[in-house]
Amino acid sequence: MEAPAIDARGLKVHFKTGAGLVRAVDGVDLTVAKGAFHGIVGESGCGKTTLARAIIGLQSITQGQVHINGRDRAEWQAQDRKGFARAVQFIFQDPLGSMSRRQTVGQTLEEPLLIHGLGNATERRARLAELLDLVALPATVLDRIPRSLSGGQRQRVAIARALALNPSLLICDEPLSALDVSVRAQIVNLFARLQAQLGLTIVIVAHDLAIVREVCSSVTVMYLGRVAEQGVTRPLFADPAHPYTQALLSAVPSPDPRVEANRPRILLAGDPPSPLNPPAGCRFSTRCPVVEPQCRVTEPQLRAVSHGGQAACLLATADRHVVI
Amino acid sequence: MKNWPWLILTPALIFVLIGVFAPLLMTHNPSTQDYSAVLAPSSWSNWLGTDYLGRDMYSRIIGGARTSLVAMVFVLVAALVIGVVIGSFAGYVGGRTELVLISVIDIALALPSLIIALALIGVFSGEAWSWMSDYWKMILALTLAWWANYARMSRAVVMAELQQPYIEAARVMGASHMWIFTRHILPHVLGLVVVYASADAGALVLAIATLSFLGLGVAPPTPEWGQMLVDGMSYIEEYPSLVIIPGLALTAVVISFNLLGEAFALQKVPRAVRGGLLRRKKAARAVEEAARAQTEAKV
Amino acid sequence: MNVPIYAVENLVIDLYTPTVSVRAVDGASFHVLAGETVAIVGESGSGKTVMTLGPLGLMPEGVAVDLHGTAKADGRDILRLSPPELSALRGGFFGVIFQDPMSALNPMLKIGPQLARQAQLYAGLSAEAARREAVSLLARSGIPDPEDRYDRYPHELSGGMLQRAMIALALAARPRVLIADEPTTALDATVQAQILALIRQIQKEDGIAVVLITHDIGAVSVLADRVIVLYAGQIAEEGTAIDVLTAPLHPYTRGLLASVPDFRSNTASGNREIPGIPPNQAQLMPGCRFADRCDLVQVSCHIHRPRLQTVGLQTVASGEVPHRVACPVVLAAEGIATYD
Repeated sequence: MEAPAIDARGLKVHFKTGAGLVRAVDGVDLTVAKGAFHGIVGESGCGKTTLARAIIGLQSITQGQVHINGRDRAEWQAQDRKGFARAVQFIFQDPLGSMSRRQTVGQTLEEPLLIHGLGNATERRARLAELLDLVALPATVLDRIPRSLSGGQRQRVAIARALALNPSLLICDEPLSALDVSVRAQIVNLFARLQAQLGLTIVIVAHDLAIVREVCSSVTVMYLGRVAEQGVTRPLFADPAHPYTQALLSAVPSPDPRVEANRPRILLAGDPPSPLNPPAGCRFSTRCPVVEPQCRVTEPQLRAVSHGGQAACLLATADRHVVI
Repeated sequence: MKNWPWLILTPALIFVLIGVFAPLLMTHNPSTQDYSAVLAPSSWSNWLGTDYLGRDMYSRIIGGARTSLVAMVFVLVAALVIGVVIGSFAGYVGGRTELVLISVIDIALALPSLIIALALIGVFSGEAWSWMSDYWKMILALTLAWWANYARMSRAVVMAELQQPYIEAARVMGASHMWIFTRHILPHVLGLVVVYASADAGALVLAIATLSFLGLGVAPPTPEWGQMLVDGMSYIEEYPSLVIIPGLALTAVVISFNLLGEAFALQKVPRAVRGGLLRRKKAARAVEEAARAQTEAKV
Repeated sequence: MNVPIYAVENLVIDLYTPTVSVRAVDGASFHVLAGETVAIVGESGSGKTVMTLGPLGLMPEGVAVDLHGTAKADGRDILRLSPPELSALRGGFFGVIFQDPMSALNPMLKIGPQLARQAQLYAGLSAEAARREAVSLLARSGIPDPEDRYDRYPHELSGGMLQRAMIALALAARPRVLIADEPTTALDATVQAQILALIRQIQKEDGIAVVLITHDIGAVSVLADRVIVLYAGQIAEEGTAIDVLTAPLHPYTRGLLASVPDFRSNTASGNREIPGIPPNQAQLMPGCRFADRCDLVQVSCHIHRPRLQTVGLQTVASGEVPHRVACPVVLAAEGIATYD
């Protein structure tokens, strides 16, 4: 049995702020199999970005452990920072900000190779050509600066750079949010192709559920710092067990106005509560349309549900669950 | 457009060249006194006349250029290096170290540089310092008075750059702190600091002249413009050229460095703001040409 | 009563910056009837925001603007108005909601008074009546405890609440046309759904016209009666929402819709890409602007600018809505001759 690409247990990331303790991630277990294309979805304040950053070490962990490819991430990074970087890479939400504005694309792409001393000048040039080919960019971009590129091109450069070190795991923080609608398809297709070609494990933090449904093999739904539901994408989206997931999916409009006009919709009341003061018991209890008294008292744990994955809802069991 | 900063560079460049090649440009030994030709007007042998000791004014001006240049370069380079190192370190490391360093920098900035230099020269006049010439005491004092501004600037740039996501991206790639600092942050720091330094050079030359004017810098007979101003003061009514010539030299140098600094600063301003009516017209014309060519080709 | 409440005709908008000049809108016309929602769909650079907000005088800073054509609000051409006249009309006739609520709300003032002031100025209400109106608008916008929220500052409200406060503000002046510029892009899915439902409810209750500027096909699907698809400053296709979204004609529309996955379909969707990138509008070639990316392109596409022509008609409550497309290739396939 191969070790999973990511195995996080009891992960907590708490921030002390002037207003109090922000429990951005408050007890998350996450397992991502090797070769999976895993989506992490949820709304603002659910902690998905913090989770992604904590996994790769951009964010310090308050409690809990992360194992990547079977090794303890914190130890690995402390002992062999460069080795870790060659195994796990990250794509940022803002492609423009993640590149030095004074460097050309060529310099940006070459940087990881230089840091790790990979190859001489000729070999590096060859590698750059390979990378551009992987992300379908023409060689002419090498001399341009990031600001002169389109959003889609910038993201491709960021992806090429992340792949320069041949990582086995790629973590992406909302890589599509800054892009135009039609460009998203291009980048998503690129991810899918790269995964097939290079055998990557990809974890993508996203809030476009439709795209996640198209490309992700497995998905984790987060709410207020904890996992609400997780499992294999299609079965989960076809029959979500957790009321929050059901509401979330219901909120996604259909591009067909006739379908849209006629489908039933679940509208949640109010805004998500703040991670400063999570509600007692189930965190979703304040907005759940089928809340019961026990929900306000007991915090539900993840357990097996009908679609084959897990959900953290007192009313969801392996046989049945609430359907809103 | 690419040419005009180089044009601005010229006066400053001339000063530097004069300073470097001084011995070759002098017609006389600037320290040689000639009592037979005291306070002489300009002539073929003494292009700018002589001073009250018969020394050739022209050669003294050239010599003064070298004196000022050497001192200026030393102080600027030393102050820059010290300032950038301390400021960048403070900005990068943060925490208590930064707080301590900031206090030091703030204290150094609290007083005008010249006052600090004066005070330090006073300190250096003690027995323990007698091995150092006045010239070098002045250079040391000015260096210690000058570095703080560069430290403050460096720290500000470092702090601003560290906020940028691309720094995080570099860490994710496995870059060490040293790599990030030298490859990404230092160029930004130097970029800003060099602009400032180029204008600062003028102020520095003036400070050197001021100290010498006050008798705290260069010792005679080494030629130095401030010194020459002092010397010429007594003769200002009848032989004003003794004061005017070094005065003009000083003014010219200060202005040329100020212009240089401005030119560098403007280079940083994006081209967009500097206008391009001509370019727009050219672009429009190019588009029309292309359109016409395409239409002709297809039809 | 099918006279359009806002009608723009042959709008041409040129933008000038010190380095570049761009024809952001190139001869576009559209109208909206009372009680109707028109969605203007396009991506960045399509000109959708400039086309809608430009005639109102709401242009980005640092850009010189040149407008031609007519834009009639209830019959009056607002392009011919002086800035103070336009300002007066704008407040009472048009309500605008933006992507960022802080573009509309003053962070230094309490929320309630900002709404009340609008009501006083444009709806002519007394101070007392305006205050009551403000509270009722807040309630109507789905803000709980409106009496309390009246006295709060913008920074005390969450993102979703601020969006609603901005909608309330836009409504305070009793506008006839509500313009929503990407109202849902920055929002979470569940909040998006709430805001869209709110806008639809307001429209039904007040009978105002809504112009929705967006690139979010989902929002269009929820709200729009009619859709106008904009590409590089020109209208590519227009028609009822059902026509355009379920039977798109223009290659760009088809490409756009094919790249947006359908959450509820069981077939693979949303994987088609449109190759290439939008044109550089400072250096436009003659002919169709989509030619370089189009899978139906012909030689003539690079020469002649395509004209919008009608392909079909839909009968809806408000009358007949033509389905128009600006693509000679598609039109030819439908048996409609095109001459330039």
